[in-house]
Amino acid sequence: MSQSLAPECNEVKERYDTCFLKWYSEKYLRGMGTTDNNECAALFKEYNSCLKGALKQRGIDKLLDEAREDNRENDATLMGKKK
Amino acid sequence: MVLTHTTSHTYSHPFPTVTLAFFLRYCSPQLNPFASHVLSTDTISSHVDRDTGRLHTTRIHLKKSRLPPGVMKLLPSSLTGGTTDKASYILETSIVDMREGWMATESRNLNFVGVLSVVERQLYAVPKTKPAADNTDVETRVVFRSRLGERIRDRLGQAQAQAEAAVNEGGGGFFARLGARGVQRSIETLASTKTQDQLGKSREGMCMILERLRQTGIMGVLELRKMASQRGPAEVAR
Repeated sequence: MSQSLAPECNEVKERYDTCFLKWYSEKYLRGMGTTDNNECAALFKEYNSCLKGALKQRGIDKLLDEAREDNRENDATLMGKKK
Repeated sequence: MVLTHTTSHTYSHPFPTVTLAFFLRYCSPQLNPFASHVLSTDTISSHVDRDTGRLHTTRIHLKKSRLPPGVMKLLPSSLTGGTTDKASYILETSIVDMREGWMATESRNLNFVGVLSVVERQLYAVPKTKPAADNTDVETRVVFRSRLGERIRDRLGQAQAQAEAAVNEGGGGFFARLGARGVQRSIETLASTKTQDQLGKSREGMCMILERLRQTGIMGVLELRKMASQRGPAEVAR
C-alpha cells in the first residue's frame, strides 16, 4: 500500500487499510455492515493516534480546519444533489 | 476568475467494483503505475451513517505538485507558505451509498490555495438509462481558481488610486490590470491543461486496477500489495 505521510505509522496504517478493504469488499459492498464498520475501529484508533502528531507537526491540522470551514457549504451542495 | 472542466465517462465494470477501485487507486505503483506522483495516502476518518447507511471517508494524499518548479520558485514565500517542498496535500472526501447506487467524491488541495485552488468533484453512479448492471457512469467536474491575480490586482489597485488622484489618467492602471489578469489566467490554464492530462492517466490507472480486480478479486490485489511492500521501498518505483 502507499506509504503513510508519517513513516512511523506505516505498519499500523497497513493493518488498518487491509482491514478496511476486506470489510468494504466483503461486507459493505454486499449490503452487510451498513450500520457500522466497527471491526476496524480499534485499528483505526491506533492508526489515528499515531497520525495525529504527524498532522500537527506538519501544520496539516490547521489546513484541515480551514478547508472544513470552506467545505461546509460544498458538502451541502454535494448532498443536496442526491436528496 | 474561474475555469471549469467537465467530463463524462462510462466504465465497463459494475458499480461496487468501481468504488473499490477508487479506494485502491493509489495503493501501489505495481498495481497502478499512473500513481507514481502520489507520495502518501492516509485515512483521517471513516464512518457509516446509521440512518442512511452511507459510508463517509476522508483521506489525505501527498502528491508531487502540479505546478512546475519554475513557477514555484517565482512565487513569493507568503503565497507558497514558505515551504520549499513541492508536494501538495490533497484532501479527499467521499460518500458511498450502496442502496441508492452512487458515490460522490471531492478532492481539493490544502496548501498553495493562495496560488491555485483546484477542486475536483466526481459522481459515480449506476446508469439510469439502460439496464446495464455491468457499467458505471462517472461525471468529473474540476474547478480551477487562482487568487494570485486578485491579490496583485488589489495591491496595484491601491497604488493606482493614488496615482489617479495625481494624474487623471488610467492608462497605467489598464496595463497593470491586464498583467495581473494575465498571470492569473496563465496559472489557471497551465493547471487545467496539466489536469486534463492527469484525468486521462487517472482513468487509465482506474482501469488497470479494475482489470486486476476482475482477474484476481480483492484477495489477489491484497496479496500483490503485500508482496510489493515486502520487496521494500527501494524497489518501488517513485
